[in-house]
Amino acid sequence: MTDLMIALLVAFAVWTGWRVFRVDSMVRASFALMLSFVAVGAIGVLLSAPYIGVATVFMMAVEMMVMAIFMVMFMMNPAGLNPMVMVHQHRLSIGAGLVAFFGLSAAVLLSPLPSNPVAPGTDVVAQLGHELLGPSMLIFETAGVTLLATMVGAVILSSRQGRFGSADEGSRPPGLTEGGDPAGRQPEGGGGHGHHHHGGH
Amino acid sequence: MTLTLVLLGAAALIGIGLYGALSQQSFVMLMMGLELMLNGALLAIIGFWSLSLGGMPEGQLLAIIVMAVMAVEMAIGFALIVAVYRKRQADMTESIGTLRQ
Amino acid sequence: MTALLTLAVLATLLGGTLFAVALDRAYLPLLALFTRQRVETEAPDRLNRDLAPAWYLALAAIGIAVVPFAPDLALIDSPVGIVIWGSCEALIVVTVFLHGWSPNAPFPLIGAYRYAAIGLPVMLPSMFVLIAAALPAESLSLVAIVDSQREVWNVIRQPLGLPLFMVVALAMTLRGPMDYADAADIATGTSAEDSGAGRAVWQIARLAMLVSVSAIAATVFLGGPLGPVLPGPVWLWLKTGALMALTVWIGNRVARTTPSRMLTILWVVLLPLSFLHLLISGLIEL
Repeated sequence: MTDLMIALLVAFAVWTGWRVFRVDSMVRASFALMLSFVAVGAIGVLLSAPYIGVATVFMMAVEMMVMAIFMVMFMMNPAGLNPMVMVHQHRLSIGAGLVAFFGLSAAVLLSPLPSNPVAPGTDVVAQLGHELLGPSMLIFETAGVTLLATMVGAVILSSRQGRFGSADEGSRPPGLTEGGDPAGRQPEGGGGHGHHHHGGH
Repeated sequence: MTLTLVLLGAAALIGIGLYGALSQQSFVMLMMGLELMLNGALLAIIGFWSLSLGGMPEGQLLAIIVMAVMAVEMAIGFALIVAVYRKRQADMTESIGTLRQ
Repeated sequence: MTALLTLAVLATLLGGTLFAVALDRAYLPLLALFTRQRVETEAPDRLNRDLAPAWYLALAAIGIAVVPFAPDLALIDSPVGIVIWGSCEALIVVTVFLHGWSPNAPFPLIGAYRYAAIGLPVMLPSMFVLIAAALPAESLSLVAIVDSQREVWNVIRQPLGLPLFMVVALAMTLRGPMDYADAADIATGTSAEDSGAGRAVWQIARLAMLVSVSAIAATVFLGGPLGPVLPGPVWLWLKTGALMALTVWIGNRVARTTPSRMLTILWVVLLPLSFLHLLISGLIEL
């Protein structure tokens, strides 16, 4: 019974993962990815990892919401109800994907997999907690510091005001064709502070 | 049997993710490919931890680390997209021919 | 036993929703909606438009299913009950967003994005407050959290917890000061293009979610089914009802501010406050 459910969830995770690159809307893509994560989380719950499974659902719901917001900030066609194809080096990518899949599958099928399932009745959540704040505390703390560094880095990278002036100063949109005229929004010239241009060497 | 199934699913997710990361032109879609690969890794970790490691706590720790990696990847990725967009008003990989300022 | 418990959960959800309808005085408008014709928008995402109300309702049902009805009896007696509720909160934001995105129309989309921008920072105080409540129990299980309140309720032990969680409750039920999704200033936002039965189900789901959030708050801060004389479920119902009335009252009393100011309040005031709350709760438990 559990096996059947896991099989269905694996199939669902793979199918939704595939849909991510087939649907014609970024919002649909990000929520297809979320469904893929939710399926993996459910597999985690079925495979007696309740905390990991549920936390995956929680984290990914938030992450994909952030992703959808970013899409609308940057993408053309944000609501995405028009068809679109935005791919490059398509054959190479398909080949690489297939090689990765078949290589890993061969590794899975050809190697003897040890069978040593979790003993039923183990309090895995408490075990995880004791591991995190016990033997592996240094690893856990390193992850914490890394996340802090990430926050600082993300704020610095994305802030407009920087040490060397405004980040979008002199920004020119790329051309629609190779070496063509800039497309889209032009950098703001004139206006209140147009008279002191600096930089531009 | 279950483990084989789970690992094959993980391999498929990693394959699809690699395809996406290599083929998509839009930065955000590219990051979705990376996330999908990490999803496959997470699935494989959960499978191994549950079915062949006898539930040793380090396996769960590894899953937590993968989640932290996802968060870092998302945050820095989006920050880079914002920075590139500010500089070039571009959201596609083709628009970035050079990393020069 | 499981069947009985399932029945109790469904009865609570139904009864609570009827109580919420009475609190909102919304009988007639809701009934009238079922008889109305559906109005279509141009090129909607039909799947999500039709399913978003159902998901909202389902999340309310999952939320109330983790609540213990007696000191050691919950339908989903998970060791990570409180994290399940956290996932529900995160998925509520996604559901409301999809509800606003799917009709492919301006006002719903504005509501959806406003709500996403407000809903994400609301998650953070929510998580800190819930984790702080899990500290005295030394467990993420809601049954254990109820058990830890036998001597003193969390609302007394952690006085900041309930007020902070009320903000979350208002945001999750799209009410009053936190209603950035379905507010009147953008022509009822995400439900502006809803019509007929779909609109009615969405409104009912909002009321059901009020029951769920209040039941969780009653469990985490007011001791849930704990209390003298009366049986456990009755205490849970009384506390949930009181919190529902309080939420509705606050929702009707407090004005909504602009989204940008609310964002500043969330990030600059409520987030540090909830962090302080977690720190104090942790130090008390040491």
